[in-house]
Amino acid sequence: MSHSFDDISAQLKGRHRRTKRLKFMSMGALALAATFLVVFIGDMVMRGYPAFQQAELHVPVTYSEQSQEIPLAAVEEDVRDLVSRGWLRQLPRDMAADASLMGQTIDRWVIADDQVDQYLKGHKSHLKPKQTAVLDRMIENGTAELKFNINFFTTGDSKLPEYAGIWSAAMGTILTLLVTLAFAFPVGVLTAVYLEEFAPDNRFTQAIEININNLAAVPSILFGLLGLAIFINFFGMPRSSPLVGGLTLGLMTLPVIIITTRSALRSVPDTIRQAAFGVGCSRWQVVRDHVLPLSLPGILTGSIIGLAQAMGETAPLIIVGMVAFIPDAPTAITQAATVLPAQIFTWAGEPEQAYVERTAAGILVLLSVLILLNAAAVMLRKKFERRW
Amino acid sequence: MQTQQIFLFFIGIVALAGLVAFFSGRSKAQRVRASGAEMYAQPDQYGWFTAISSAGPALLVGLAAVVAIATADIDIEGMQLLIASLVVAAVGLVIGLALVKPDFHARNAIETLIRYVLIGAAMISIVTTFGILVSIIFEAIRFFQMESFWTFITGTTWDPGNSFQMAAGRGEGVESTANFGAVPLFAGTFMITLIAMLVAIPIGLLAAVYMAEFAPESVRTVAKPVLEVLAGIPTVVYGFFAAITVAPLIVDIFSPLGIEASYNNALAPGLVMGIMIIPFISSLSDDVITSVPDTMRQGSLALGMTHGETIRNVILPAALPGIISASLLAMSRALGETMIVVMAAGMRPNLTANPLEDMTTVTVRIVAALTGDQEFASAETLSAFALGLVLFVVTLLLNMVSVVLIRRFREKYSANNL
Amino acid sequence: MKAFLKSGLAVAVIAASVGAAEAREQLRIVGSSTVYPFSSYVAEELGATSDFPTPVIESTGSGGGMKLFCEGVGDSTPDITNASRRMKTSEFERCEENGVTDITEAMIGFDGIAFAQSVRDGSMDLTREQITLAVAAQVPVDGKLVDNPYTKWSEIDSSLPDRKITVYGPPSTSGTRDAFEELVMEVSTEEMEGYGGEGYTNIRQDGHYIAAGENDNLIIQKLVENTEAFGIFGYSFLEENADKVVGASIDGVQPEADAISSGEYPVSRSLFYYVKNQHKDDVPAQQAYNDLFMSEKMIGELGYLKGIGLIPLPKEERATLREQVAERTKLTLADLQK
Repeated sequence: MSHSFDDISAQLKGRHRRTKRLKFMSMGALALAATFLVVFIGDMVMRGYPAFQQAELHVPVTYSEQSQEIPLAAVEEDVRDLVSRGWLRQLPRDMAADASLMGQTIDRWVIADDQVDQYLKGHKSHLKPKQTAVLDRMIENGTAELKFNINFFTTGDSKLPEYAGIWSAAMGTILTLLVTLAFAFPVGVLTAVYLEEFAPDNRFTQAIEININNLAAVPSILFGLLGLAIFINFFGMPRSSPLVGGLTLGLMTLPVIIITTRSALRSVPDTIRQAAFGVGCSRWQVVRDHVLPLSLPGILTGSIIGLAQAMGETAPLIIVGMVAFIPDAPTAITQAATVLPAQIFTWAGEPEQAYVERTAAGILVLLSVLILLNAAAVMLRKKFERRW
Repeated sequence: MQTQQIFLFFIGIVALAGLVAFFSGRSKAQRVRASGAEMYAQPDQYGWFTAISSAGPALLVGLAAVVAIATADIDIEGMQLLIASLVVAAVGLVIGLALVKPDFHARNAIETLIRYVLIGAAMISIVTTFGILVSIIFEAIRFFQMESFWTFITGTTWDPGNSFQMAAGRGEGVESTANFGAVPLFAGTFMITLIAMLVAIPIGLLAAVYMAEFAPESVRTVAKPVLEVLAGIPTVVYGFFAAITVAPLIVDIFSPLGIEASYNNALAPGLVMGIMIIPFISSLSDDVITSVPDTMRQGSLALGMTHGETIRNVILPAALPGIISASLLAMSRALGETMIVVMAAGMRPNLTANPLEDMTTVTVRIVAALTGDQEFASAETLSAFALGLVLFVVTLLLNMVSVVLIRRFREKYSANNL
Repeated sequence: MKAFLKSGLAVAVIAASVGAAEAREQLRIVGSSTVYPFSSYVAEELGATSDFPTPVIESTGSGGGMKLFCEGVGDSTPDITNASRRMKTSEFERCEENGVTDITEAMIGFDGIAFAQSVRDGSMDLTREQITLAVAAQVPVDGKLVDNPYTKWSEIDSSLPDRKITVYGPPSTSGTRDAFEELVMEVSTEEMEGYGGEGYTNIRQDGHYIAAGENDNLIIQKLVENTEAFGIFGYSFLEENADKVVGASIDGVQPEADAISSGEYPVSRSLFYYVKNQHKDDVPAQQAYNDLFMSEKMIGELGYLKGIGLIPLPKEERATLREQVAERTKLTLADLQK
């Protein structure tokens, strides 16, 4: 059976077309993944950006003995339901702190109720027609405005959406990650040093290696069960504390740090070790003075990536009680605290639009921090990476 | 005395002991050396040695006290602890100083100690694995004493009924009707994982092929980190996205077609989870494809194969073990994923093949059982541990198979960068 | 030495945790998800208007709260637990066994259990019997108990709409579920033929009743999405979400504050919290929290908690209870058996 050249070249065309098709399909797959990322971030921004603004009202505030007793008396009757209760209840304390306020009436901007906030943003609100009439008038006068929502960054969780913020969750995240780092970094690096530089190649070492690989694949929620059983029930550490959360996340991050540290150590060429041994260094001296300093950028990069992963983790923290109503920022690792992803999870369960906004805004903050961390890791690698 | 104060004092004692010992050890060594004796090690090393011999035991005393207080409920006064550690540090210092002699190998002694510390660190990961196993297995065994293992694995009705009230002593006179057949949970988990894999494997693999075989270097350097971002997004964020954007979208898409979709349908968490695990597949597949030796490409092209045919008939078959391995890893990630399903999947154990219905998963049950109530005697709470055990074993097996496959690939092509 | 110091630091971190023995100022509260909104409201108010730190509240369900509460005395155990039902005698005994011997009971008001649907379809009139027939696992048909065959409301009673039965409700670990089973199912089945005069509380598992987790907010979301469905949850959530859902009238009574407070609405219950008096001196905020919670400002007719759905107790009863809580009257087993 023979084919003419025409047949063959036609066939060839088809074959090259198939290559082209494969190329475009694979390009499309990549584009699809990238598109998703764009859609996803766009969706979060659209949902979240309103939360960075908060309605405020410009009203006369009367500081009198009556308003010290009943804060509601401090503002005029028609705006009483429009001003945030969270702001009003602080009045007596403000007055106690600053005695000169007494007897004065000051025109000032005050935080508005979340329903007012929703109304100003053009969303559905529970306001009654009478209230919206007052508000419409105020908007016209310029005495009701959307301003930058500073509260979102300075307060903790609250039952009043206009006062709900991420400050205490952020502090909880920082404390938790400090514990994680203090535990996982030294242990991880030491383990990697042992496996890469000291360990004999025997069954025991192989068992540790396999074990670390497996640990990296264990679902995170199982680490939560471990934290509950060991740290809380066995060691009696305080529930919901950054200490327990941090150690739990530390155990979870350990494999990541070990694996990246090992590859960083491996990238240091053997000639350096041989030279150091040659001048009489002991094994530990070789590691401490030569191998570790040279592989430090790689180790730090890996640790940052591990930390970023721990920062976004929620499931094990639910189990150890870090998902709770905790408005105050923690000041010690033994106090109750919540973390950013846990706060996002709590808010996601609230039906009010104001909380949906805040959930998305919290997500934006969390994502920005994560992107910064990862960018730092990439920069670190770029700047200090050495090719041997 | 407050615990914090005791703690500070303790740290102070240890640090001070270390410092004193370091300087006295070093100066003794310097004196010995000055006297003309040949020493095996440097004065600094003798200093380090005495520091360790003094501060080390004191630290151990503190650690032992902590463990004793925490586990055995032994009451230890802060003062006693401080005095004990001080005494131990002093004794350690005396012994350490006595050992500072010309024929003592201080460096080797430190080296040995460091080796033990390193082994200790390496043991922590093993202890962790055992810790997970132990913290799951005892409660799981208690569960299987109440409910049969066989019904758990094969039963098709998951209905904790009033087992909780029974355990809490409030189900008086009511007959227990609890059923713990986990198949509906496994089915839900499997369905969502399957959807995720159907999304992730084609997209991940094709993206890897593009990056490894077609993309110019500039695209590659940008595309890889961008894909990695997908894996870096916290799962709670994906969960929110799945619940609030994707699920309503799916309902809206299907309702004009006359198909009724639940707002907790399995499709939404499945799709979103699939996107999350794309980078797990693309990244590892990319590595595997690039480590297929170039000689195979050249050979294939030399035989007149087109680029596409080379990829399809030569490279992908060669890389198959690695690709399967990547898929298995991604699968174990999907099985154990919690937040996405907790936020977006259903609560109802539902045995169905329709991804538009609501289904629940193993991880959802674990979270629900452990946060709803902590009555450890009830079969419903204990079932969380039995489910945890199943999850642990399954993910472990998947990971093992994956490791074996990738090792085979590595040995075959001596690809060392995997 | 550096690495040595670092591992020392890790040890130190662990050692610091034993600081559990040191006095903690922060009040720790656990328990019912129904009381949680009230409790966290009071807690936040306490934090905002006093020098005490804001109490920490974890929503664990009534039973879960009791378990943690009764685990013993000391800093690692909660100071207060919320409950949407009374403490069980078994729980009281467990407390005693573990050394929690001085407890004060505080009743804060009532909560009605609403059987609600999306506002789109307006209110609906149901009887407890109809609700039971819709959710029970087995129902009497021709005098015999059979697996519940009803899939539409119209099959139960032709006067009801031709809608699929879908009910989102609390899971079996929830206090709301307890109350629902007791107040709706048990009461009605005792009088119905076919159950042999005994209370029947098994709920169907064929997909018409969906246990939606401890989070009552989630049920509201479901009802908004699925307008065909009903939800079972506390009155507070009904009030809070009056723009989204509307309660069905049960036995002819609408779920409204007055009807619940007077006992006219058949499905209502009392809400409680329990105070561990042994922590009185260690956690001074406990006293302040008690005083604030029991004040007219919170649980009174014009109190803030009414605004988020709590139904106040009658006036005299509030006064007696306030006094009891202030004096920290000790709870006894006999009280619970009443």
